[in-house]
Amino acid sequence: MYPKDLKYHNEHEWIRVDGKQATLGISHFAQDALGDIVFLDLPKVGAAVTANQQVGEVESTKTTSSIYSPVSGKIVRINTDLKDHPEVVNSDPYGKGWIAVIELSDPKQVDGLMTAGQYEAFLSSQKK
Amino acid sequence: MIAPKHIAILGAGPGGYVAAIRAAQLGARVTVVENQALGGVCLNWGCIPSKALLAVVELGDKVKKAADYGLTIEGSVGYDPVRMVARKNKVVEGLVKGIATLFKTWNIEHIEGTGELLDAKSFRVAKRDGTEATVQADAIVIATGSSWPNLPLFPVDGKQIITSKEALDLGSVPKSLLIVGGGVEGCEFASLYSGLGTKVTLVEMMVSVLPLEDEEIASFMARELKKRGVELCTGTTVEKVERQPGLVRATLKDGAVVEVQQILVSIGRGFNSKGIGLEKAGIQVGKRGEILVNDRMETNVRGVYAIGDVVGKAMLAHVASAQGKVAVQNILGHASKVSYNLIPAGIFTLPEIGRVGLTEQQACEKVQAVGRNPDTDVKIGRFRYAALGKAQGSGDVTGMFKIIADAKTQNILGVHIIGSHAADLVHEAAMAMHLGATPAQVAEMIHAHPTLSEGLMEAAEDIEGMAIHLARKKS
Repeated sequence: MYPKDLKYHNEHEWIRVDGKQATLGISHFAQDALGDIVFLDLPKVGAAVTANQQVGEVESTKTTSSIYSPVSGKIVRINTDLKDHPEVVNSDPYGKGWIAVIELSDPKQVDGLMTAGQYEAFLSSQKK
Repeated sequence: MIAPKHIAILGAGPGGYVAAIRAAQLGARVTVVENQALGGVCLNWGCIPSKALLAVVELGDKVKKAADYGLTIEGSVGYDPVRMVARKNKVVEGLVKGIATLFKTWNIEHIEGTGELLDAKSFRVAKRDGTEATVQADAIVIATGSSWPNLPLFPVDGKQIITSKEALDLGSVPKSLLIVGGGVEGCEFASLYSGLGTKVTLVEMMVSVLPLEDEEIASFMARELKKRGVELCTGTTVEKVERQPGLVRATLKDGAVVEVQQILVSIGRGFNSKGIGLEKAGIQVGKRGEILVNDRMETNVRGVYAIGDVVGKAMLAHVASAQGKVAVQNILGHASKVSYNLIPAGIFTLPEIGRVGLTEQQACEKVQAVGRNPDTDVKIGRFRYAALGKAQGSGDVTGMFKIIADAKTQNILGVHIIGSHAADLVHEAAMAMHLGATPAQVAEMIHAHPTLSEGLMEAAEDIEGMAIHLARKKS
């Protein structure tokens, strides 16, 4: 449910760091809470993003929710397949359901994010 | 016998023609001067034609989902702009004839021509047949409306740079279109043209489309436009326009260049207050060229009234009609005023928007202005179409209801609906506000099931966290 190689954000996003770039997505918990996802409003390639600020929106049949960036940097790629197939965020949130790739401006920010274990502990603390 | 009062009305748009009929109903002799078709911009080049065309895209949107519904369609589905326009024209002609018939039954005289005031009691008419006439009246109502955009940056040629007038008479569907202005008209045309398959780019100076609407509704609309493939460029303006054969190139403030087949100018309507002899009658106009009136719709000159777009209040057809009724009622001794604080309005985008009263932002400012805390005193109730059985059944699941109320006074401050039939649905809310009903009273009234109207009831209940069809909220 929560792959160990990812870092997690308290707004339920994950990132996978690869050198100076990080791939962004939403967690299993987030996709499950949202229900059937029908649309993702993605950032534009080239847009600057700031840690903890909104980068896009995700709309499900139940609600609309902001997508936050766990890190600062610049959007270098977005997952254009989501335009026609937003449902892959439900079915494969850590794979085909990736949202964007961010070029990190401050790689140290990654250290402040949660590990899979910490995120799971965070989720169970939220339930109580 | 005392001769009936003679009222002369300059302009037969939704302000002028309604004023004419009401005046006749109240016993006046009425003359209307209009140089174009009865019904004005609203009926001929605005509200009605745009709805007639949008209806086709709405139908097309559904037909594209036919297979999901279990409806089999053989062959391809496509739009025929020539027939769309022909149908639109037929709708408009029918309604224009309807006004002419009403005029006949009320013995309203219609002079086809352009009027110019000579003084406070008369005007000269240059008739369409080339002759001239002078009209003398006991009172005059000016209802000349507003003019098409004519900005130096966007020289309208009707071909590459167009206004909504040409956009409603599409002979063919442009491959690409840049819409300047993301207000009501801009968003409506973005819905229409993106539906027809045009690649639409929308430029809006403010940070979001529909800048006068509730922010939540505006951002909902922005998402819906993006789903239709509309490219939104907000917080920027067009700085330069270059026309070339078969192409217009627009340079935006941020340096971006957009190349399109056509540009639609949806900003900058002016007031039709020039060339109608206002100075001869001594009638005052404001800085923007709007005719100044009091709340009885009378100008500074006794016996001369003005209504509709030309007075520059809310530039809406139904406001013009309301002002028209008020003007002639006052002329004929039935004192009345226009109340501007409760005007429902529809935005005929896909999906549609209905709104009445304050936005959430305005409600918070209003509460704050009297020293109260908006966080505690402005309460919001929401409900989504997707949770309504009727919406699921018909497949119109995109949309939401939003009620804004004052927690202290229990007044409903505003209601905003986006989704199918929103502009119709908002009238229950407007009536509730008109009669001073509280959200609790709206919730208490039994709403028929299954209907979209249940959404307003649920939203009213949600103000207290009591909507039945909403998951329990975390406390």
